[in-house]
Amino acid sequence: MAAPGAIAEVTEAHADYARAARRNRLLGFGKGVAAYVVLTVFAAIALIPFVYLLSPSFRKSYELLTFPPQWIPHSLYTGNFHHVLHGTSYPRWALNTLIFAGSVTAVTLVIDTLAGYAFARLRFPGRSLIFALVIATLMIPTAAVVAPLYIMISRLPGWTHSGVNTYPGLILPMVCSPLGVFMMRQFISTLPEALVEAARLDGAGEWQIFRKIVLPLMKPAIVVLGIFTFMFQWVNFLWPLVITTTDNMKTLTVGIASLQGQFVTDWGVISAASVMTIFPMIVVFLIFQRWFVQASMAGALKQ
Amino acid sequence: MAEILIKHLVKSFGKVEAVKDVSLRITDGEFLVLLGPSGCGKSTILRVVAGLEDADSGEIVVGGRLVNFIDPVKRNVAMVFQNYALYPHMTVRKNIAFPLEMAKKPKHEIEAAVRRSAAILGLEEMLERLPEQLSGGQRQRVALARAIVREPQAFLMDEPLSNLDAQLRIQTRLELIQLHARLGITTMYVTHDQVEAMTMGHRIAVMKDGVLQQIGTPQDVYRRPANIFVATFLGAPPMNLVDGTLESVGGGGWRFRGQNVDVQLSPEVLSPPELRHEVEATGNVKLGLRPEHIRIAAPGEDGGLPGRVLFLEPVGSDLYLTVEAGGGTVQVRTDPDSPLQQGENVSLLFDPWRVHVFGADGHNLRRDAPSVGAQPALAEAAS
Repeated sequence: MAAPGAIAEVTEAHADYARAARRNRLLGFGKGVAAYVVLTVFAAIALIPFVYLLSPSFRKSYELLTFPPQWIPHSLYTGNFHHVLHGTSYPRWALNTLIFAGSVTAVTLVIDTLAGYAFARLRFPGRSLIFALVIATLMIPTAAVVAPLYIMISRLPGWTHSGVNTYPGLILPMVCSPLGVFMMRQFISTLPEALVEAARLDGAGEWQIFRKIVLPLMKPAIVVLGIFTFMFQWVNFLWPLVITTTDNMKTLTVGIASLQGQFVTDWGVISAASVMTIFPMIVVFLIFQRWFVQASMAGALKQ
Repeated sequence: MAEILIKHLVKSFGKVEAVKDVSLRITDGEFLVLLGPSGCGKSTILRVVAGLEDADSGEIVVGGRLVNFIDPVKRNVAMVFQNYALYPHMTVRKNIAFPLEMAKKPKHEIEAAVRRSAAILGLEEMLERLPEQLSGGQRQRVALARAIVREPQAFLMDEPLSNLDAQLRIQTRLELIQLHARLGITTMYVTHDQVEAMTMGHRIAVMKDGVLQQIGTPQDVYRRPANIFVATFLGAPPMNLVDGTLESVGGGGWRFRGQNVDVQLSPEVLSPPELRHEVEATGNVKLGLRPEHIRIAAPGEDGGLPGRVLFLEPVGSDLYLTVEAGGGTVQVRTDPDSPLQQGENVSLLFDPWRVHVFGADGHNLRRDAPSVGAQPALAEAAS
């Protein structure tokens, strides 16, 4: 039979263990709760502006100026949306934006992918210098080039009329982003060199290597750059503001801004137009969300 | 099928000279292994032959045609890469068909050729799979199928087995030997694995720092190494080296003296007259002994080199002993059932016929050892 002292020791150890386990469980639970609290705060910070935008779009103008401000509308008033669709050129602006953002995205993808391939895989004199120049253009703020760009576009030689209020004038200066070139170059650099060499030995020319080997493997990067470009151009404001003067050439951002009157502004209508503008972007992002993850994983997954 | 001739090849990358005046002749249907440590220039030679790198100087002749300025694809050689280089977005069928599609062959011809190649490598069942759905060994077979599908004049293989695990490597090695026996296509095979080199090559070309050290059959290179590098690079555990001096004795023989080592060498082992100058000029030499040529003296047997067992490494089929002797450590390959214990005093015996003696410049002074410049194959290729 064990000595009474030994039994006491064992019991004590058990009790110690039980206490430690309880502490551990509590701590784990506490950490979980803390994580949710922090995440909730950040989610709220991110979401509140959208809610704040959504709310007035469903309220009548006079309801907007009450104090204290109402977050939840009393009645779901859809008149603002009706007004946006029928009382303004919103459909035309949307079409313009679609053409503008779509064209810029398409051309950017072609140019950036080709340039990225050249910088990553081709050897030519001055490659590093030219690449450095391309990257250096990132440091020039858009606002600084708006005026010269406007002068260039409005006086483009060979054009029968000025580029102001035309699609080419709207689209061309926004085409090709240095960031996109950089991104494509980095992505192509991660593809195994042996793939290109194997294709070369298999008889593929430079163009075939690009089209049949590199391009299909770049799909995630292309989708990400495409979405980024499209979203950025969808809400681009400064250039469309400068280069469009007539109502039927305005893009959504410029159009919505023009709804703001000098003396009277219907915030309900502006909110409704903004909601209609943002909503498609959220949908696009949600659909292609998995591609973002894939693109960020691409480096890790190479063979 | 074709002969490959490399004449005085030089290739540098910036300031690094990767290949220094290498000449090689790979005869029609031969399996030549380029063996050497990482960075010795062996892969560079392969890439220059393939056309992926340009030679700084020297000639590459494939099938009697100078190919230095010919596009890779027109050289009609196929390369197998270490990491397979399969096109990840194409099925096995598309991967194999790719070279033929690039050559704009008719569809039915491509289909037949793909089926033939797939059959040779046992890939018929997986033609519709993507590379990521295959095991390492299967991927390597697809890479081989893609290489053979256009019936090249020569195969260039750049460490094709090094990404496989040990067991699969042995199996694939056998498959490669069989494939070569079946197709008989001239093959240049780059590896740093001496077992691959010994088992696969008709001849082995050993390289170090961009310089060809020796070329010969596996037995030649192993038994008659041209210099210390070749002697110690081939063989595991490597050849033992004992420092000492060489002096001539009466009757044309030689005597090697090291710490506790004193060996009489017959004139048939070392060549006498020309050697005298060399030894007198350079002084110190190294005695080389393969671990399998040393045995532990039985009790009562005397005249051996005294030593003490430091470590025992049983590897199943053999027992490797590290013995402190002759002023350094000596590795001995012995019977795995040997009752030896760590710390035990032993006496080492060896056959003076089996030793190699290396001069101060590292060259093997044995009479039957080749010297690089005098090798007929090289002289012929360089001419």
